[in-house]
Amino acid sequence: MAFLDLIHLKKAFGVRPGSLPSETPHLRRVSATYAVDDFNLEIERGELVSFLGPSGCGKTTTLRIVAGFEQPTTGKVILDGADITNVPPSKRNVGMVFQAYALFPNMTVGDNVGFGMRVSKKPKEEIQQRVKEMLGLIKMPELENRYPYQLSGGQQQRVALARALAIKPQVLLLDEPLSALDAKIRVELRYEIRRIQQELGITTIYVTHDQEEALALSDRVVVMSAGHMEQVGKPWEIYNYPTTEFVAGFVGTLNQLRSRVVDAPTGELDYHGQHFKVSGELPPGETVVAMLRPEQLRMGVHEGENQLTGKLISLAFLGAIVRMGVELGEAIVTLDALNERRLALPKIGEPLTISFPPHAAWVMAAG
Amino acid sequence: MKRGGFWGWFWVLFATAYFLLPLIGAFTFSLEMRRGVLSFIAYERAFADPEFWRTFLYSNEMALMTIVASVALLVPTVFWVHLRLPRWRPVVEFITLMPFVIPAIILAFGIIKVYKSPLVIGGFTILQAPTNSVAGTNVLLVAGYTVLAMPYMYRAVDAGLRAIDVRTLTEAAQSLGASWFTIIVRVILPNLRAALLSGALLTFAIVVGELTLASFLDRPAFGPYLFLLGQHRAYEPAALSIVSFGLTWVAMGLIYLATRGRPGPGQVGGAH
Repeated sequence: MAFLDLIHLKKAFGVRPGSLPSETPHLRRVSATYAVDDFNLEIERGELVSFLGPSGCGKTTTLRIVAGFEQPTTGKVILDGADITNVPPSKRNVGMVFQAYALFPNMTVGDNVGFGMRVSKKPKEEIQQRVKEMLGLIKMPELENRYPYQLSGGQQQRVALARALAIKPQVLLLDEPLSALDAKIRVELRYEIRRIQQELGITTIYVTHDQEEALALSDRVVVMSAGHMEQVGKPWEIYNYPTTEFVAGFVGTLNQLRSRVVDAPTGELDYHGQHFKVSGELPPGETVVAMLRPEQLRMGVHEGENQLTGKLISLAFLGAIVRMGVELGEAIVTLDALNERRLALPKIGEPLTISFPPHAAWVMAAG
Repeated sequence: MKRGGFWGWFWVLFATAYFLLPLIGAFTFSLEMRRGVLSFIAYERAFADPEFWRTFLYSNEMALMTIVASVALLVPTVFWVHLRLPRWRPVVEFITLMPFVIPAIILAFGIIKVYKSPLVIGGFTILQAPTNSVAGTNVLLVAGYTVLAMPYMYRAVDAGLRAIDVRTLTEAAQSLGASWFTIIVRVILPNLRAALLSGALLTFAIVVGELTLASFLDRPAFGPYLFLLGQHRAYEPAALSIVSFGLTWVAMGLIYLATRGRPGPGQVGGAH
């Protein structure tokens, strides 16, 4: 059994927990309103799992069920072998970090960090020692006597993290903790969170709508949409082998070419009169959608690769990469070229040939 | 841009005069007890009256108890409405406005009518009539004052809770193991300090000057004393009005001192 087991979690708002049997016509009738619909996940001890998805996909609701702030309509939460589904949040020993920091404004940094230990009536010396240890962990030992309003957003979120960790929780929950911070601090703090999580070996669930954050931080990513789990996997699996069209489109940038199957055994497709090949088995049907990541496309003709020619309509210099938009049939194909000093950029309006190897594309059935 | 201007200053001076002239008039009048000489004799006489001290201290005690009762009743109620029953807010607001609509005399008669008899269940007297004892009547008076002060205390607490992120702070405290009692006492109440001080000041002002309830319940409060004094004397009531006004300003000054130099609870540092 996994350390944290989320079993068939469902959450319908406006329905009393436990009031619906799991398999009834009534349940099926209201299933369209489920914020979380049949969520199953096993999380191992020390693992960092991200819940990734757009707003309203149910990721925060699932996290709040684990924290105890929401009761599932059906399903169970098992932590280290114990069923905590009906245990109140104050008795779960689960640390939580919120998007809005949620530091107590009337307390100093030290008092905030030591709050959980004071509540559980730990000896004063132990609290002081733990507060110092935690402030050392977040590299803010000198700010113990400051009030939250005297700290920057990044510092406040570090303190919130230290406060959540001070109680030695079994699980750490982070609800979009970096969303309120600016881009530079967000990246810094992201690695800080990962360092601390690995240093302490604490089991962590991280909710975010930022795919880059989820991919950079996580041992595994759960991509969610409309209350459902779309895909669970390691970051590179999610990015390189998306199993649904939603995941393919949500994680990273994706070009989709709706193509006609010319020869299924050889993987030959036709896109607006231009033929190209893909590797792997094709789904049934006369029309399929070929998926291509922008970074797998190259400018110009390359021997042994597929070639498609279109018209360059946009060009954006992003520093490390140059992003180009190529009009190709009904689609605008995005191509990312790695920036180098000698890179010869085409002019807008000129024809541009793009190349890609057959294995770079994967194919899904046309919906 | 030009600041102030003629009309700006005109309205400032007009408002100041409108506010201060009656006070100056009352103050000057209170000094004119001895003909042709300005003196503090009216103040001396007022303070020399043991009845003044007795009623003033009694009303102060009642005011403190009313403040405690109001905080104990309204903070958990408004907190729960904010946290779990936001749809009930209009209903609760309506209820708290009732003292504005129902005159105090109705409240006084209602209290007397309900509590003048003992509580008898199945032939057994569970509770003696509260109006039959001093302590019981004091409790009824505090209960009545709590109702009268409710519109002000409710709004003060409501405004204070709106200024903080009640839900997130509560959930943060819960995740750290805090009970509901701990959350209210150690997280919510300290962050309502300024709001509670404002509510307490208004409650204090209402209770100290209240006449109807204290008269009908026959308690030795400052309001009835001031009323009786005003019927028989001229200068002492003016002197005591000025003293009451001064006390109110002292209380407001204390609120300022207690809350200055701290940002609002919702204020956070920059995102850097």
